[in-house]
Amino acid sequence: MDQSSPHNDLSFFKPRGTTMRNEVRVIKLVLSGWFIAIVGFQFFAYLMEVNYSELLLTNFIFINLPIQFWLSGQLLPLWFIVLCVLYNLWMDRHTTESNEESLRFRVRSADGEDE
Amino acid sequence: MADGIIQLVPLAIVAGMFALFLLSGLRNRIRQSSEYRFKGAYAGRIGIGAGIASNWMSAASFLGLAGVFYLKGYFAMAYVVGWTGGYVLLLVLMANQIRRFGKYTAPDFVGFRYESGAARTIAALISIIITIIYCVAQFRGIALLVSWLFGIDYIPAVAIGTSLLVSHVVVSGAMGVVRNQKLQYFVLITTFILPLMLLTRKLGYFWILPQFGYGAAIGELQQQFGFNWSEPFADTTPFQWLALCFTLMFGTAGLPHVLSRFYMVPNIRDARWGVAWGLFFIALIYWSAPAYGVLARLFEARNGLALNAGSADAADMIVLSAAGLGGLPIWAVGLLVAGGMSAAFSTSAGLLMAGSASFSFDIYPRLIRPNASEGDKVFAAKGFLLIMAAGVMVLAFKPWGMIAEIAALAFAIAGNTIFPAFLLGIWWPRANATGVICGMLTGLLISFSSLFVGGSLPIISQLFPLTSSACIGAPLVMIVMVVTSFLTSPPSAAIRHFVSRNVHDCPEN
Repeated sequence: MDQSSPHNDLSFFKPRGTTMRNEVRVIKLVLSGWFIAIVGFQFFAYLMEVNYSELLLTNFIFINLPIQFWLSGQLLPLWFIVLCVLYNLWMDRHTTESNEESLRFRVRSADGEDE
Repeated sequence: MADGIIQLVPLAIVAGMFALFLLSGLRNRIRQSSEYRFKGAYAGRIGIGAGIASNWMSAASFLGLAGVFYLKGYFAMAYVVGWTGGYVLLLVLMANQIRRFGKYTAPDFVGFRYESGAARTIAALISIIITIIYCVAQFRGIALLVSWLFGIDYIPAVAIGTSLLVSHVVVSGAMGVVRNQKLQYFVLITTFILPLMLLTRKLGYFWILPQFGYGAAIGELQQQFGFNWSEPFADTTPFQWLALCFTLMFGTAGLPHVLSRFYMVPNIRDARWGVAWGLFFIALIYWSAPAYGVLARLFEARNGLALNAGSADAADMIVLSAAGLGGLPIWAVGLLVAGGMSAAFSTSAGLLMAGSASFSFDIYPRLIRPNASEGDKVFAAKGFLLIMAAGVMVLAFKPWGMIAEIAALAFAIAGNTIFPAFLLGIWWPRANATGVICGMLTGLLISFSSLFVGGSLPIISQLFPLTSSACIGAPLVMIVMVVTSFLTSPPSAAIRHFVSRNVHDCPEN
């Protein structure tokens, strides 16, 4: 480790300290879930269209909606909410309240509702 | 559209809604001074979420999205996914850390983190460009609604809409109206979903959750009219879809007015949970928006109207046409107009005020009048608001696309410039001023490249389409930032220390 400039080392891919290392691990998990779902669903829909166009048109309709509408339009936004909730639960459990309180500096007071 | 008929009932509903906002805003102002002392600005996590959602909802969500569905079918899902998925990026990569910098605006952040007045000025200029383009989309929405309400042509409607908006800003500013965002979100969601429930009920579909019920219309269009919604990539490639989707997500995490929501909440946990609630409230609209586009197609097919393939004006008004063709009572159409007006007005008022503040604090005293007094700055802010409104009005006379497409250009610019500047600024202490300046300028070039050289170099407009340039653009800008940062001297030890210790809680060694 470069002792002369310790802060040069740090980055998203080179996290330092337990707190940051754990946090980055969770962020990576959340982001992979996010990325795989988005790209995977489109890839799936594309493959279905290319290979089984007939099937896609007639058989893959659940409760009126074609499957790709379910996947992209209904499921993905829901999945994003689930990811946010999981991340928040993890953060709540692994960051101490005192730590967060100490970081409440220079927060604008009293006009939170104002634009 | 210029049929000369003034729609009295919808007009009354719109006027009533603005009066309601005004009254509740005035009541808030009176309450605020007495209650804040012991109660604080704590609004509850759901309240914060509603604030995030109402801040986010604009004409693009309310009118534009259904229009894209109507014209482009499944391709419009890229907007739905892009405009919701961006919040995941924002939450996990930025929301926590941004607050620790204690800066309130994007130029503030860039100036502080990169220790450079020039970078700050460029960030301010970019924020203003984003504001103007985003406002063009809103003005187009306002103008279409005004032209429908008063039965006049589009061009005079743009002028009337602009003057209404400017007077709205002036009046609410002079009276000190505090925006009641919870009430506003409630009005938005009601005015959007209630007419949709009525429509699906009229059709005999599953109306309690019209978000799913509209599927029956897809089936009917397919079986009876041969209208094929089911081939997702018949007209577009998966790359085009994903490029748009990721551009919108990067843009969401880079739009200045979205980022600044996170400084307003006093507690970091509430801020995080507020994002989750906000995303849920936003998704409620996006789960429903496709229904309007699909139902409008169905009504047209049933009435034997030719399938409209190209008119952007008609597509942007499709939410209203769906309600009209579906035979909804005029008050229900009025609700939709009121919701659309409220979304467009609040977004553009907020953006114009933020843009003029940014001009008067970041650009005017730095570039134009170095020793400007506070009074001069306030005057400059007011003047610049009028200039921006006039500029946006002129651009809105002849917009270059549909509402959602115009908004997407603003997202692309934000994703190409502000997003990389924030991301590397937060996660890589070595990023320096030269890097961010080169990066933001490259980002601007990329955003407009297809407009200027796309004609002569087709590959440019394929890789960086006007609405979807940030998918490849943002990573490219980050590479530029990393390379130039390495080639030039590192930022001061103080700021690197700040980033690693105060932002990421790294132990000293």
